[in-house]
Amino acid sequence: MKILLLCTDAYGGHGGIALFNRELISALAELPECEQIVVVPRVIVHEREPIPDHVQFVFAAARGRFSYMRALMGVLRETRFDLVICGHVNLLPLARLTGQAPLLITHGIEAWKPLRDPLSNRLIHHVRGVVSVSALTRDRFLSWSHFAGETFVLPNAIRADRYGVRSKNVDLVARYKTFGKRVLLTLGRIVAAERYKGFDEVLEVLPELDPNIVYMIAGHGSDVDRLARKAADLGVVDRTIFTGFIEEREKADLYNLADVYVMPSRGEGFGFVFLEAMACGVPVIASCHDGGREALLAGELGTLVDPSNLAAIRVAIADALQHGKRQIPDGLAFFAFERFSERVHEIVRRVSADGRQLR
Amino acid sequence: MCGISAVFAYRPEAPPVDRDEVAAITQRMFPRGPDAGGTWFSENGRVGLGSRRLAIIDLSPDGIQPMTDTSGNFVIVFNGEIYNHRDLRKRLERNGATFRTHSDTEVLLEMFKHDGPSMVDLLRGMYAFAIWDKRAERMFVARDPYGIKPLYIADDGRTVRIASQVKALLAGGKISRAADPAGVAGFFVTGSVPEPFTTYAAIHAVEAGNCFFIDRDGPANAFCHYSIANIYRRAHLQQEPVATLVEPATLLREFVTESLAYHLFADVPVGAFLSAGIDSTTLVALMTAERHEPPRTITLSFEEFRGREQDEAPLASRFAAEIGAPHTSRIVTREEFLADMPRFFDQMDQPTIDGTNTWFVSKAAAEQGLKVAISGLGGDELFGSYPSFRELPRIVRLARVPLATRILRNPKAKSIARYGQNLAGAYLVKRGLFMPEELHSVLPEDVAREGLQRLDIAQRIRNVIDVDPGTDFGRIATLESALYMRNQLLRDTDWASMAHSLEVRTPLVDAFLLRQLAPLLIVGGSKTKDYFAASARPPLPDYLRNRRKTGFSVPLKEWLDLPPDGTTTRMRSWARHVFERVGR
Repeated sequence: MKILLLCTDAYGGHGGIALFNRELISALAELPECEQIVVVPRVIVHEREPIPDHVQFVFAAARGRFSYMRALMGVLRETRFDLVICGHVNLLPLARLTGQAPLLITHGIEAWKPLRDPLSNRLIHHVRGVVSVSALTRDRFLSWSHFAGETFVLPNAIRADRYGVRSKNVDLVARYKTFGKRVLLTLGRIVAAERYKGFDEVLEVLPELDPNIVYMIAGHGSDVDRLARKAADLGVVDRTIFTGFIEEREKADLYNLADVYVMPSRGEGFGFVFLEAMACGVPVIASCHDGGREALLAGELGTLVDPSNLAAIRVAIADALQHGKRQIPDGLAFFAFERFSERVHEIVRRVSADGRQLR
Repeated sequence: MCGISAVFAYRPEAPPVDRDEVAAITQRMFPRGPDAGGTWFSENGRVGLGSRRLAIIDLSPDGIQPMTDTSGNFVIVFNGEIYNHRDLRKRLERNGATFRTHSDTEVLLEMFKHDGPSMVDLLRGMYAFAIWDKRAERMFVARDPYGIKPLYIADDGRTVRIASQVKALLAGGKISRAADPAGVAGFFVTGSVPEPFTTYAAIHAVEAGNCFFIDRDGPANAFCHYSIANIYRRAHLQQEPVATLVEPATLLREFVTESLAYHLFADVPVGAFLSAGIDSTTLVALMTAERHEPPRTITLSFEEFRGREQDEAPLASRFAAEIGAPHTSRIVTREEFLADMPRFFDQMDQPTIDGTNTWFVSKAAAEQGLKVAISGLGGDELFGSYPSFRELPRIVRLARVPLATRILRNPKAKSIARYGQNLAGAYLVKRGLFMPEELHSVLPEDVAREGLQRLDIAQRIRNVIDVDPGTDFGRIATLESALYMRNQLLRDTDWASMAHSLEVRTPLVDAFLLRQLAPLLIVGGSKTKDYFAASARPPLPDYLRNRRKTGFSVPLKEWLDLPPDGTTTRMRSWARHVFERVGR
């Protein structure tokens, strides 16, 4: 089987979607009947991770829009694919160039309401199936698209061996001055468009929590100044830590610095960060109104709160600090890479058996 | 759902609690709780608690009140439902609590022990309760955010008395029946008695969303644990893109379905009131989807409305048939109304011009064996579908045009010029039954003057939006929710349904739901109602979506041959009629 994956980013990409794509490629590479995988990425911004052996990663595609099309056409001239996977709704018009009905992957908010591009809104009805990272994303996608084909839920994977419960890294403790403090952590892009992550809500309950508790906002973005002003207005500026951009290699230590990972978000398609925090044995608090609910297996692995209810957030934090245990929950195995890979293989076999050409 | 009472002789010089008084107060609320009843008295005779129980959750005797905790230090009487009690129970269990029963009452007891008064921030439900803390020798009293469940208090400076009904407090025989002109004036101005007044000077309503302690110094200042105005203000100031992340109809379906799921929890069957309006039909559609079967539905029908647009029965029946709901279209006649009137007025706790519709639909539901019914009440306030959302800004604009009101024929034209300079004043004009300057036509001059002075209705309305909700939509929604809905719709729904031992649940009147939806409501405004109609799966049929809004009315004019009073509904005449029977 020859598989073509059109994606925004994967190797050399940053963030949840790139990570998902890397795991997807790894899982596809383990599929016995898969003889070739060609990946056409839209962007490469970082140093690349090692690429699996029989994966062809088309670097030239990441140089711009026209380069992408040129690279894609070149790939299509050389190979006839058995399965085309469209890694993002924004790539649907390009996936049409393959002449095949692709398997579409939806990650989160990009699929929660009609797409800006009218052509893409039509093209979603011509896909072979839709894979969503959570049931919530699938349901929200279905509610506006009325897509009648097959859908699959494929939650993110976590490789727990890359994390683990560790003692607090003394360099980070010194850098962020958290010695003797209890640390709340949220990690994410800090931009206006992602205010739904819940930084504001945690800041707002901070004054009501024990003064020994500090809030670490990890990540970078243009909304940092606003949050800093808000922290000052709330009188918690000395209890709020902005870390700036976090290198991938420091992430496990960063999580281990936290006593509670809290992200009362409204816009997570799934919330891979929760898996990372749990893989470090950190108690987590997520939202009951976005994909975080599924990352916590409906509350089995951590605490779910209504992000609009500040009192509930405050109580959840206090309870987690008082009773939370630093241990990796057994249920995290549900998201192990091996399970992810099995799910990918099942989906690919299912849609391959039911393959059809683009109408 | 229950009727509760509490008497606390807090000053040393107060006589001990009279057991017969507590029994009499509690017994007056028998229809609120026909399944069981009980009283509890402290060993020192300073505290008495009483309860009548309508068993809905945990039907076993374990749920009987007053309920004492295992330590014997805390005793509770509780009226209402805590819809998220299972979530709260799990949390308490994680924190080491153990439970003897499955009831929400015991969860409240344990929460008070664990969280103290801040417990109210976590409660999703309708409630009024009193918890006696034996060690601290004080009582904690709380009422739900919207005031769905009533609670009244009478404090004579030595003993405080609390009950779910004004008439129950009076039944104890120890409270003065002297009238309160402010409450009386408030009834004629607004059509219901505005909180915290009652028509009796010695009795006040515990205001919605308030809680307080009572100790040896008497009731402490109440603190407000929920503000509708604040919710809208926060949504306005946040300017967060949350509301635009998801399709509005999808978001509404998710949040309202969640609210419904909580409101449907019961150990008895749950039915639904069904009209031809968007709110009740959408709720029934969402209930059907949530439970995978339609609920039993009830509609009222009146001969006098047959063939007119007020007759909602044909469309409601059609919709019920389409979704396969077991449906009752109950015909109410003039003869039945007249026969029921003595009981109707006996059960009416405070004078009100509304409540007839709820009385009969509750009666019909009880006849079908229902103990619980879902109502679409609150949808107009939440989704901005009252005419007031359009008309109040117009009144304000009109009032600001010099001499404009002089050319109007509307009988309220003078009032527009006088009050309509701001939204609060415009609200008085729009919702007012009698304008303050008209009260001398229904009340003695001195009563009207004193009543109006203490009532200070214009200021009272302004106070509701003292914390500015930020947008006209938020301001009007706050006014409608905190005044008309609270003082009239919810109060009437309580006594009129309880008279038939029926618990009415209102998933659209939910503090959690408002917090969740406020960002969307601010953005969507009155269009949200259309989104709500579209949220059902499949969407509501056109014959419901395109129907003109009529309101849930009863042909009182025809039944009582009410004299002309300058209004089309003759509500002013009806108000006089009601006051003769209940207000004096």
